[in-house]
Amino acid sequence: MAVAPKLEETVEFAENPEPRCPCVLLLDTSSSMRGAPIEALNEGLRVFKTDLMHDVLAVKRVEVAVVTFDSEVKVIQDFVTVDHLETPTLTAQGYTHMGGAIHRALDMLQARKEQYRPHGIAYYRPWVFMITDGEPQDEPDDVVEHAAQRVKEEEAQKRVAFFAVGVENANMARLAQIVTRTPMKLQGLNFVHLFVWLSASMQAVAQSRPEEQLALPPPDWGTL
Amino acid sequence: MCGEEASGEVTSERPRRGDRWRVVAASVPGTRHQKRQQPCQDAHYWATVQNDVLVAAVADGASSATLGKVGATLAVCAAATTVGVHHQRTVCPDNDEAWCQWLVDALHAAHATVVAEAQARQVPVRELATTLILVVAMPARVAVAQIGDGAVVVSDMAGNLLALTVPQNGAYPNETTFLISPNALTAAQVGVWRGSPKHVAAFSDGLQRLALQMPDGHPHAPFFFPFFQLVETVPAAREAQGQVEAFLGSQRVRDRTDDDVTLFIGSLIRSSGDAGPMSL
Repeated sequence: MAVAPKLEETVEFAENPEPRCPCVLLLDTSSSMRGAPIEALNEGLRVFKTDLMHDVLAVKRVEVAVVTFDSEVKVIQDFVTVDHLETPTLTAQGYTHMGGAIHRALDMLQARKEQYRPHGIAYYRPWVFMITDGEPQDEPDDVVEHAAQRVKEEEAQKRVAFFAVGVENANMARLAQIVTRTPMKLQGLNFVHLFVWLSASMQAVAQSRPEEQLALPPPDWGTL
Repeated sequence: MCGEEASGEVTSERPRRGDRWRVVAASVPGTRHQKRQQPCQDAHYWATVQNDVLVAAVADGASSATLGKVGATLAVCAAATTVGVHHQRTVCPDNDEAWCQWLVDALHAAHATVVAEAQARQVPVRELATTLILVVAMPARVAVAQIGDGAVVVSDMAGNLLALTVPQNGAYPNETTFLISPNALTAAQVGVWRGSPKHVAAFSDGLQRLALQMPDGHPHAPFFFPFFQLVETVPAAREAQGQVEAFLGSQRVRDRTDDDVTLFIGSLIRSSGDAGPMSL
């Protein structure tokens, strides 16, 4: 009679690339963020990485890009898995080119998806997480309007989940015109809680199978 | 009353042939659900009819649904028993179309059961959202029906391994079709494979990326054959069961998936003198 195999020693797994969960952090670094806000944001980013690193699957699946916007829109970090994320130390200066920043984030996601497809990599609905303490400044109105239109269209087609968080004196009414989901107002400078929540949400997304709805943990860092 | 791991003989009639199915099946909760203190949302059920007809069902309750476990458990029981009852009442179909109709009837029965439960509990039916895989394996034919993800694979007497269904996923890997989704019954994969099965396996989506080569969905032979060999060579069901459960809960599996996982395996032990057309 044949000897039964030991499953632990004999079963081999198919080598599939992990599905990816891309997330763009779109961060306002205009001059009004100078001082305590930008320092709190930097600390929040460090906590974000540390927290995500604790989840073995999130480390393989969540891809983060960091884009800042002031008078320029800058890609500080193109998409990397969390273990390769080098948390930046951001500084604040200039105006708030929010419209251009939204376009850049959506363009980056589009390009990333086109890189996934030929490699057979499945991906979750991408996230953009925008944090601002103001409103669009120093940009032609049509740039901002077009950005808002794109957010609306891509949300409707479920191509992106676009979240906006207002800090301190952010113009919440203006933000609500730009993004489809109701913007959240951060309590004080509680970036640490915000990023712990974001990390938990990305971990949930990286495994969940909600029926179209994201079953996110309740935010404990802000108000509607 | 059937539970999540209920199984047994539907009828005590003597087998027409000496062939009989040996089965190991396990549903193990994922670490994600354990962290959130949610129960395992997967369920499975199997029964043999006249020894050489094996009816099995696997379901994966949606983690976004509050009663996903209930939906999954009801669906597997209703689907499998519908086929069993059909089988007791009438002659086994000898054509593929009739088999497909039996399976479609079983999916409808599962759907009706889940809808009735939602009404009785006065909750929206989406709270019982679940996928459903139904397999009827016979010595010369395997009939399958599937709504949602997971898959069914079969290995024939010559050792060929092929997928009888493919996972139904939406635009994103965390979206799928559920039994209660609109058009789920018309979009279901229903089919019959004619051949001599040696082993048949069904699994929930938690194992998909370990057991299938994506994106094509070809079954990964080095994943399946150790399980097949185990079921074939270990006659003590409890011992084989324990090994499969331990493996599904092991760190190796956990490093690759934190979802609930269900694996069902049936091996046809052919009687001597009727070892199948391909054997030497």
